[in-house]
Amino acid sequence: MKIISVENVVKCFPVGDGKFTALDHISLDFFTGEFAGLVGPSGSGKTTLLNIIGSLDKPSKGKAQVAGKDIEALTHKQAAQLRNHSIGFIFQVFNLLPVYTVFENVEFALLLQKKPWHERKKAVMDALEWVGLENMADKKISKLSGGESQRVAIARAMVKRPRIMLADEPSANLDAKNTHSIMETMKTLNQEFKTTFLFSTHDEKVMQYLDRIIHLEDGKVVKDEIITSRKEDF
Amino acid sequence: MPVLAIKLAYRNLVGAGLRTWLNVSVLSFAFVVIIFHNGLIDGWNQQARRDTIAWEYGFGHLLNKAYDPYDPFSLQDGHGILQTKMRQRLIPVLIQQGTLYPGGRMVPVLLKGIETDQEILKLPTKLFLKTDADIPALIGKRMARALKLKKGDRVLLRWRDKNATFDAANITIIGIFNNNVPTVDNGQIWIPIEKLWEMTGLSGHATLFIATNDYVHVPIPGWHFKDHDTLLAVLDNMIAMKKVGGSIIYFLLLALALLAIFDTQVLSVFRRQREIGTYIALGMTRLQVVALFSMEGAMNSLLATLVGSLYGIPLLFYFAKIGIGMPATADDMGISIAERIFPVYGAGLILGTIALVVISATIVSFLPAKKIAKMDPADALKGKIQ
Repeated sequence: MKIISVENVVKCFPVGDGKFTALDHISLDFFTGEFAGLVGPSGSGKTTLLNIIGSLDKPSKGKAQVAGKDIEALTHKQAAQLRNHSIGFIFQVFNLLPVYTVFENVEFALLLQKKPWHERKKAVMDALEWVGLENMADKKISKLSGGESQRVAIARAMVKRPRIMLADEPSANLDAKNTHSIMETMKTLNQEFKTTFLFSTHDEKVMQYLDRIIHLEDGKVVKDEIITSRKEDF
Repeated sequence: MPVLAIKLAYRNLVGAGLRTWLNVSVLSFAFVVIIFHNGLIDGWNQQARRDTIAWEYGFGHLLNKAYDPYDPFSLQDGHGILQTKMRQRLIPVLIQQGTLYPGGRMVPVLLKGIETDQEILKLPTKLFLKTDADIPALIGKRMARALKLKKGDRVLLRWRDKNATFDAANITIIGIFNNNVPTVDNGQIWIPIEKLWEMTGLSGHATLFIATNDYVHVPIPGWHFKDHDTLLAVLDNMIAMKKVGGSIIYFLLLALALLAIFDTQVLSVFRRQREIGTYIALGMTRLQVVALFSMEGAMNSLLATLVGSLYGIPLLFYFAKIGIGMPATADDMGISIAERIFPVYGAGLILGTIALVVISATIVSFLPAKKIAKMDPADALKGKIQ
């Protein structure tokens, strides 16, 4: 089932008196349960495309449809609802809220969904169990290692059981061991919940887990390769 | 959203630690000072009203229409006789001008004749009954201090009778009364009204009458009645002016506290951009983030109220109990002022101050937070200064 559809998307940013084209007529489709990645050098448009799919930004031209919603037509409120219910984000620098505990960070999205306390508690503890941090619920973020922080970020993104997970350079601040560990966790979640994962990366260690790799260069798709036996599912 | 904003704002404030407590300390200090200052003025106001009523106004004044308390020239003709049946429950006071010669100096004074057995004012007029002095006189502590007079002193007084003839005689100071009301003290000599009638030939005349508590006013031609509200209006206005003057100090203090919150909020909007971006990425609308930041400011002030209560309640209660000593020079201010003023903290004052602090803190938090609504969330996530 198609969950993300990007059609002839162009994204330009003003630079001085001119403009910089970050995405140049990109067309891509992603299906439920894909474990795909956007790969390319810095400035190739990976993060810009992720931001558009994540409804954090709008295309200058073209159409982007995510979970049945036209991104360019969404109001701020509708975009917030889409992010809150259907999209999970994982960031390069984790973006955890430093004044909260591990539990409170993971709980945040559920608070926005106004879930009752007993539901929140169960969901948060389940999410922490998925990432192996169930014993660290009361810890402050400042006490965590990089790998643990990224696991909290994964739990925070997964706790609301989104249909789509967007991970922007999730391994950039992790060592090899932690990178493999979080990728394995995400792969398990992908298989268990059929959540669509879309990565932006140029890390070989991440790429080896991906089922589909889309190569971007100067805002254009230069190669779209399906890697594993999951081909037939798409 | 309000419940969520409150919950998140509380977590953020507690998590922010020292930054929060610095703001809260300054704001709570402003909060306590505002209540203390207003309580002091209100206490002074109540004391001044109480003392002025007890020493000067009684239950109102019935004034001769020709007499204007602010025009000394009106003393000449501003008096008259009131029929006996109309004088029920009224204490007559005759006011005339005179000149006192203490130690060879010449000092203009007001001669005030009052009934010796009156009980409506706190003036110790009963002392007149215990003396055999030819012209007994009572003066206040300020008058005694200014003229260097003491009990038992005899001093030459010159006055003018009803025929405009000057006369002079020694008066005897039979008592010096301690009071907080300069308007019954400064430049005034109290003597028995029968004696003043005899001295001036104005037998039965009065410049004004002081009403007793059961006096019911009916209009009397040639006289007009002033009740408490009218008589105390001048005092109220003077105290209100003092309050405005004093307010400048605490508004400055409040402005400093609010500036600290504003500064923190402005810094937050820049420093917490990544956090703002994360909130938005997690599904908060921009308005929800603005509300969260504004709520943080409002909670700063609520925390300040709590912290202020912790040390403010015992402190303010202590001062309300022991009062604040006024300097000796305060006597010369011309307004009734006691040696110690006991602050009074009304519910209106406390609730009003809480409302003032909370509303102003929320407004100064909202102003920088408004900028969030214009942020690009993708840039905010990168922590890019916008």
